[in-house]
Order: sequence, then C-alpha cells, then structure tokens
Amino acid sequence: MTRAFWAILLALTAPLAWALNVVATTASMGMLTRSVGGPGVNITVLAPPDRDPHQLQAKPSMMRALRDADLVVAVGAELEAGWLPAALDAAANPRVLPGRLGYFEAAAQVPLLEAGLPADRARGDVHPMGNPHVHLDPQRMADIARALAERLARLKPEQAADFRARAEGFAGSVQARLPAWRTQAAGSGGAVLYHKDGVYLLDRLGLPLLGTIEPVPGVPPTARHLAELTDRLRGRRGVVLYHPYQPAQGPQRVAEALGWKAIAVPMEPPVSASAEDYFRLIDQWVAALVQAK
Amino acid sequence: MHVKFKHLAGALALAGIITPSHANPEIDALRAEIAQMRQQYEARLAELEARLKDAEGRAAPAAQPTASDRLGALTSGAAFNPQISVILDGVYYRDNKKGKGPELYAHLDGINHSHGGHDHGHELERGFNLRPTELVFSATVDPWFDANLMLTVDSHGGVELEQAYFDTRSLPAGLKLRGGKFFSGIGYLNDKHPHQWDFVDQNLPYRTLLGEHGLMDTGLQLTWRPKTGSLYTLLGVEALQGNEQLFATAGLATPTSPRADGSPLAPTRAGELTGKKAGPRLWTAFAKFAPTLSDDHALQLGVWGGWANQHQEVHDHTLEDPGSLVHALEGKSRLWGLDAVYKFDAPGAYGAGDFSLNAEYLREVKDLSIAFHEIGSRVGQPRKFTQDGFYVQGVYGFAPRWQAGLRYDITGLTSKVDGPAGRLREWDDSNRWSLAVTHHFSEFSRLRLQASSARLAVDGNRERLNEFWIQYQLSLGAHGAHKF
Repeated sequence: MTRAFWAILLALTAPLAWALNVVATTASMGMLTRSVGGPGVNITVLAPPDRDPHQLQAKPSMMRALRDADLVVAVGAELEAGWLPAALDAAANPRVLPGRLGYFEAAAQVPLLEAGLPADRARGDVHPMGNPHVHLDPQRMADIARALAERLARLKPEQAADFRARAEGFAGSVQARLPAWRTQAAGSGGAVLYHKDGVYLLDRLGLPLLGTIEPVPGVPPTARHLAELTDRLRGRRGVVLYHPYQPAQGPQRVAEALGWKAIAVPMEPPVSASAEDYFRLIDQWVAALVQAK
Repeated sequence: MHVKFKHLAGALALAGIITPSHANPEIDALRAEIAQMRQQYEARLAELEARLKDAEGRAAPAAQPTASDRLGALTSGAAFNPQISVILDGVYYRDNKKGKGPELYAHLDGINHSHGGHDHGHELERGFNLRPTELVFSATVDPWFDANLMLTVDSHGGVELEQAYFDTRSLPAGLKLRGGKFFSGIGYLNDKHPHQWDFVDQNLPYRTLLGEHGLMDTGLQLTWRPKTGSLYTLLGVEALQGNEQLFATAGLATPTSPRADGSPLAPTRAGELTGKKAGPRLWTAFAKFAPTLSDDHALQLGVWGGWANQHQEVHDHTLEDPGSLVHALEGKSRLWGLDAVYKFDAPGAYGAGDFSLNAEYLREVKDLSIAFHEIGSRVGQPRKFTQDGFYVQGVYGFAPRWQAGLRYDITGLTSKVDGPAGRLREWDDSNRWSLAVTHHFSEFSRLRLQASSARLAVDGNRERLNEFWIQYQLSLGAHGAHKF
C-alpha cells in the first residue's frame, strides 16, 4: 500500500523534476547555466545583452518568468538592484527568494574587487560590497561555474556528476585559453573604460585601468572631467573601450585627443550564447586591448 | 665617584655591551649557552616551517574539488536594519489666478464636490513650497513576512501614516497576501507614489473620483498569478474598511441644529443616517494582463472594479447658499476602470529614446437615497450620482537623462445626478493639458519643469487656469525599485 503510494507520488513528481526552469538575469549568466546545466535546464534570460543591466525596469514578462522558476542565476552584488528585487517581489515565488536554494548569486561566490569602499553616493551609484561586473573575468567565471554546479547538484542530485563534470570542462577551457590571452595582451598600455565594468578582465590580464569616461559610476561624462582625463593621460599608450549602449561621443573625444583608438566592445555574449561565444567575447576584448600597444 | 664607575662598568659587561677585552669565564659560559640555544631554536623553527609548507601544499589542491556554493545575496543593507529611503520633494509654484489655483481644484464641480470641512492640508502657496517628505522603511521580517512602512511629513511637521503593511513571502501557487494600510492595486497609477509620477500633480480623474492620494485604505489584499503560459496574469481582490473615501464613508452623524449658517434645522425635518456597518465595507477586484513581447516592448492591460456597501454623505451648503436645505444621503457606490500601459525600451543610454504611453478610464456611480432631509417627505427618494473621466499621458526620453511628458486629463465627461423623475443636475467637465520636462541628474535626483493649462468647471463657471511648476525630487538611502 505504502509502496504503491510512493510509486504514484514518484510518477507524479518525475516529470516535474525532469527539466529545471532557470532564469538568468544576463546573457553571460545564461551562458554559464547552459554550460554547466546542459540539457537538463530550460533557460530564460531577463536582460537583453545590448542593454545596461543597471537601468532595466521590472517588466511583467520578467515576473512571468520568475513565477515558475526553480532557480534564479543573478550576477548580484546589487547590479540588478533596480529591478530584480521588484520583479521577485511581484512574482510571488518563494522558491527563488534570496537566501533560498533557488537563488544563486555569482558575485557571492568569488572575491570581489573594490570591496569595502565607502557607501557614499557622492562617489556615484556605488556598490560598497564590491564591483559586481565579475563576468568578464574567465577565471572567476570558472570558479562560479563550479559553485553553480554544486547548486544545481543540490537541486537535482541525480545529475550531480554531470553538472560537476561540465563545470570542470568549462574551467578546463578557461585554463587552456588564459595563457594565450595573457601573452596576447602583454605589453598593452591598458584601457580607459566608460564604466568600471571591464576591470576584472584588466586585472586578470595584469593591465592597468587608466581611467573612466564617467566621472563617478552612473553619472554621464562632463566636459571638464574628459579634459582632466585627457591631460592626465597625455603621452601614454592606451585604448578607450565602451559598449554599444553607452554614448560614443565621450570615448571618441578622449581617444581623438590622445591619438588612441576608441573601440565599442559588447558587454555580454548573445542571449543563447555557448561557452565558445563567451570566449569569443573575451577574444574580442583582448583584441581591442592589444590596440593599446 | 670611583665606586660608581666600577658598578657601571660591571653592569655594561654583564649586558654584553662592552667587548670582552678582559676575559671572564662566567661570561664565556653564558655566551656558549645562548649560542647553543639559538642553534636548537633555529633548527626547530626550520622544521616547523617545513612542516607548515608541507601541510599547505597538501591543503591547496584538496580545497579545489570541494567548491561549495553560497546562498543569499550580497547587499549593502545592514543585516537586520530595515532599508530606509527618504524622498525630498519641493516645488516652486505660480498660476494666473494669484495663487487661487489649488482652491479651484478643491472645489471642482462634480459628484464629489467638496462639502466643506475635510479639505486636505497640502495647501500650495505661490512661490516656494516643501511638499510632504516621504520616509520609507522596509525589511524582511522572517521567512514568512516582508513589511513596509511609509510616512509623510509635511512642512509644518504634520506626520501622516500613508502605508504600513505586511506581505507574505511563502504562500504557494503564486499567491500573496498583503494586510494593513496600503495603496490599492487598482488601476495603473494608484499604487505609485508621488516620486514615481511623471508629472508634478495628480491627474484629474484620480483627484476627483478617488481622492488626491488615490485609493488608500486599511484591509487585506490577496493576489494570485495563475500559470497562463507566456501571458502574465495578475488577479487580485481586496477587502477594505471603507474609511473616509470619496465614495465610501461611514459613521457620519445625522445633522443636528444649528446648520452651518447658524439657524436651526426646519421643524419638517425627518430621517436619520444608519450606524456604521462592520467592515469590510469596500471591496475591489482587479486583473492585469501582459503578453510577453520582444525585449524592447512591454504592454499591460488592466480592468478593475470597486464596490462600497455603505456610503454616507451630509450636505450642508447653507453657509454659501442660505436658501439650500440640509440633507444626508446613504447607499452604495461602485466604481470601475480600465488601464493600459505601453513601454518602449530603446537601446540608448540613460533612458534616451525610451517611450511610454499610458491611459486610464474611471467611472464612479453612487447609488444613494435620501436618509435625512429638512423637508421630511423627501426621505427615501433615490439619487444616483454618476461621473467619469480619463487621462492619457506619454513620456519620451529625448536625450540621455532628459524626458519630456505630455498629458491630457479630463473629468466629468458624464457628471450628473438622477432622481426618481429623471435628471436633477448636470455639471460641465474639467480638463487640462500639461507639459513636463524632467532632467535626471542621476538615478537619485531630478529637476522638473511643468506647465499646465486647464479649463475647470467651478460653481457652474468656466475658469481658465494656467499653472507653472519647478520641482526637485531627491532620493536618499536605499536604491529605489524601477517599478513597471
């Protein structure tokens, strides 16, 4: 009797346990989930890759996706502070609230740069617990992949070995590529970024951040700030990098004044990116950084 | 003198500062002992260091495969303190009626024409005004509840509790229960706070049919998000107390002598208002639907209704019009509305190219009968009050951090009272055009210029009112949510 009951229960819950519904906040988080989760996960990406992830609004379609999610994979460290808490609140899905098993934050898995800066808005839209833009550091992404495999394993223990193997596979690909990226980038003079979002990659490659087009995070450039930046960097080698969603005028002005190149590089891989697409994104960044030789 | 020197020399020798020009066997023995100890000590240290290195070497690779994942979110909020945010809001105001604009709005013709006595205190002056400062506290209480508190403090220090509610966190099946005092979920703009508005002031249909704050009351709200594929569906019902709403007020006293003008009530008076019914006296239901469109577009359509099972009004206009008669009405009222929002999210930076359009229609019917009248024979006669209105507003980000908004709002398309023998009264509508330009310095501060031109119906006259505003809004503390 009891055995029959358990058999029926198992039969009823088996299809539910089949595919995990994962909502990734950004395309890179979607890529990581896809790489680690394999065919066992359905992925919805909330932020379009060509939009500034700080600026989004909590849209009904996000709430729709979060309503049925088994797991949310967020970048975290308040990158999505403007919209993810609001969307989670409206989605009324207790499984994926922060602190529960169904909420995974990439930034919480790795040490962050710029952690512990004063929480002072005079310095702009700051993140006192650290810079959240971890996704452009392949090494940290490998560490995050391992942590994500553990989380997926806790949600779907029967596939734990597969998740761990895929995470190791991703980490292995990163290890295989890192030396080449380092060698290629060696000797680059560093970069001026629009926003402090490429710092993790610069840090990994051992390149200096020469400055930012924004005077403080989240505030558009002023003529005076750009003039100061140009004066400070005159005579140095470098390149100005920005994203297609950031206004090009500031970067181009600085680059022109310094005789450098201003290059638009995407911040995120495509929505349905594979690990290869992500590595191509890093290739693109490294190729742009090499322009500062 | 001599003795002193001898002692000093001995002390220095003991301390080993003076070099041993004259050998002393005792000192040599001590020195040998120290050297031996040092040797032993260094050997032991080297051994310990080697063991440490060894242990580290073994520990490092072992740490790798046992990667663990951390739960929770990184946040700048102090662990147990509520998130606090403060909104400062100030305006510079001018109009073409020597500052009488706000008074005109308070006395607009229509079914909720101000009956004197309960005007809100937010009087605007010509020139500088500090609008109520908003204080919001929110936190997760425990695994089962979130709580939120919002106070406003006006420029005279008057404190008003606008919201104090809890939300459940753990109900299954897309359910959520809210309880306390809160802005109702009806319509699109109703639960938006003034700092989330795209214009300085409340639109006309909301102001005249729901009240300056919109519908805000004490009670319970249950919302449900059913599984409807790619369509977002939100269904909600609210059981509210029905206190001091324009269309839901109970517990009024039957008029007694003297009247507002000081004279006694006519001896022919009859009838009385019934006592306050037990709450909830006001029910609402709302539904919102949003299809999943491409990333750039978002659309939400809504429909809602509200029903008050007890509403009372006392009319004593004898101060302005001594010929009028004091009477009181009682009955039920109902409201309904439609709302639509479309938003386009352009790839431009800082909101450049973003566009939003939203419109709402509201209709209110008060189905009352005379419960008290100075001419007693009229008691029991029905009076049906009907009024409606709509607004349409569009906002466009014409440059990074710059927005321009245009709004047309009108109330009283229908604005009438019907008695048993047909139409008793009709009023003109009031309508307005507003243009607002907003500059967002950052996410946390903005400056807005707004000009409005209104044609208002006040006491049967047409008043043309032109208004001009400069507004700043600053938000301190917790990062605000970018609500849809």
